[in-house]
Amino acid sequence: SPSVQLDMAALLLRALRTGRTLRGLGSAVAAPATSTPRCSSLTQGFHSTALRLQDESKSDKSSSSSSSSTSYHEHYQAHPADQDTTAASHGASADDPSTADASRANTSYQDQSGEQSEEYETEEQLQARILTAALEFVPLHGWTVDAIAAGAETLELSSASTGMFNNGAGDLVLHFIAQCNSQLTEILAEQNNQVQLGQAEQKKTADFLRDAVETRLRMNIPYIDTWPQAMSILLLPYNIPDSLKHLSTMVDDIWYYAGDRSTDMNWYTKRAALTGIYNTTELVMLQDSSPDFQDTWNFLDNRIQDMANMATSAKQVQSTGEAVVQGFMGAAVTLKNLTGLNQRR
Amino acid sequence: MQRAAYTTDSLVKRWLRHRLKCRAPLQVSMRPYSVFPPVDSEEKKMLDRMMRVDHAGEYGANRIYAGQMAVLGRSRSAPLIQEMWEQEKKHLKKFDEILAVNRIRPTALLPLWNVAGFLLGASTALLGKEGAMACTVAVEESISEHYNSQIRTLMEQDPDKYVELLKVIKEFRDDEMEHHDTGLEHEAESLPGYWLLKNAIQLGCKFAIYTSQRI
Repeated sequence: SPSVQLDMAALLLRALRTGRTLRGLGSAVAAPATSTPRCSSLTQGFHSTALRLQDESKSDKSSSSSSSSTSYHEHYQAHPADQDTTAASHGASADDPSTADASRANTSYQDQSGEQSEEYETEEQLQARILTAALEFVPLHGWTVDAIAAGAETLELSSASTGMFNNGAGDLVLHFIAQCNSQLTEILAEQNNQVQLGQAEQKKTADFLRDAVETRLRMNIPYIDTWPQAMSILLLPYNIPDSLKHLSTMVDDIWYYAGDRSTDMNWYTKRAALTGIYNTTELVMLQDSSPDFQDTWNFLDNRIQDMANMATSAKQVQSTGEAVVQGFMGAAVTLKNLTGLNQRR
Repeated sequence: MQRAAYTTDSLVKRWLRHRLKCRAPLQVSMRPYSVFPPVDSEEKKMLDRMMRVDHAGEYGANRIYAGQMAVLGRSRSAPLIQEMWEQEKKHLKKFDEILAVNRIRPTALLPLWNVAGFLLGASTALLGKEGAMACTVAVEESISEHYNSQIRTLMEQDPDKYVELLKVIKEFRDDEMEHHDTGLEHEAESLPGYWLLKNAIQLGCKFAIYTSQRI
């Protein structure tokens, strides 16, 4: 889209020049009689300005200058940031079209160089919008390109826009997962904030993990009938790197908000354990026909409990190991003393 | 949290300025930072690697001193080694903090460095005080060279932005150089086969740095 912007700028310049030539011939600058709708975004405002200028240079000279000033006014309304210049130039434009022209050029250039990046929709944003719309059609079409096409159509885009997605259904599933994960992160961050502010009580780590996994898995419920299909798509070789990345980021986020700050091997064991629990619970959920997936949550409870037990026994093993090492060291010192090797050097 | 509040304002301003200059979509995570400036994902990756290897290095150094103390703990040079060890403990604590706050994955090779460091420390200490000192000289020289190269990289990138981090690394580099000099003062070079031992250890250090950055 930057090249499009450049094209528009070139067009604008050319149109301005033509407008001035016309004025030099003694004609009033005219605007098309049709009133343009007020544009909310800078993009559209800018486009309509350029279009209008193009029309001006072509249009017949019969329109009155008052109509042109109204249309300028409408245009300026679209740029609240430029209200100062608007007021000035609006006053002037009725008498002297050249001032209006100049200031219009100024505002347009500001559009060009200013913060348009915030207003333009990038390709990624558009893709995200289409995929979000497509989720609605997943229960109907499954995780397929058809769902994406249907989603694109609700946004009044051609169903051919599915060509934007190199990975088709994979993109759709990954988008859904990314969306759910960021939602989960928001929820966890919010909970964390409340604990920090003292509005909520700090949960026990096991409870926190359990609730976080349940919250995340509940996001899959609307799509539970088609979820096996999604999981198989995620297992396709070219989707594995991304799906692993999403999974590991999610598990890392959960542990982070659970208050884990380990920088040793625990970092790995904790994440591996939670990843395992998440994946197995996800599978159990597919088979679950109990009301509100009660069996799944029971299963999850038990697995989290297992993990807690394992952590305790690991600690016991470690302390036993340390005691054994100390015993050996003691034996070694005794041996050294016996052999006379332990004299101070 | 206190730390986060202290820099939030300037962080936001800097971030906005950066954001306006750079049009590409940035993945700026809103996580608390300690000595890290706000960075985009590329810079974050670079810093993650740097901190991961530094953390591994300090961890290994700690294990080496632990090994030395296990052997020389009751000898006359024990207080000297203990003093250097205490400084290394402080360094490791700092990197632990940096890793935790910035959510950096520690290297997966920590168990290896745990064993390898202890064995290196203990085996060189078995050669006597000079052996331990030769090991210290070799290791500390490698580490300070490594810190110097990191300082160079950061200075090339943006000295203003990384001012906090540079301060930490420079301070640690100076400590390591001090240990290196202490080792030389205590007759490290008088060990027979000093040159061979030193180069062997430094080769090992280079390998450790290379792998810890990546794994």
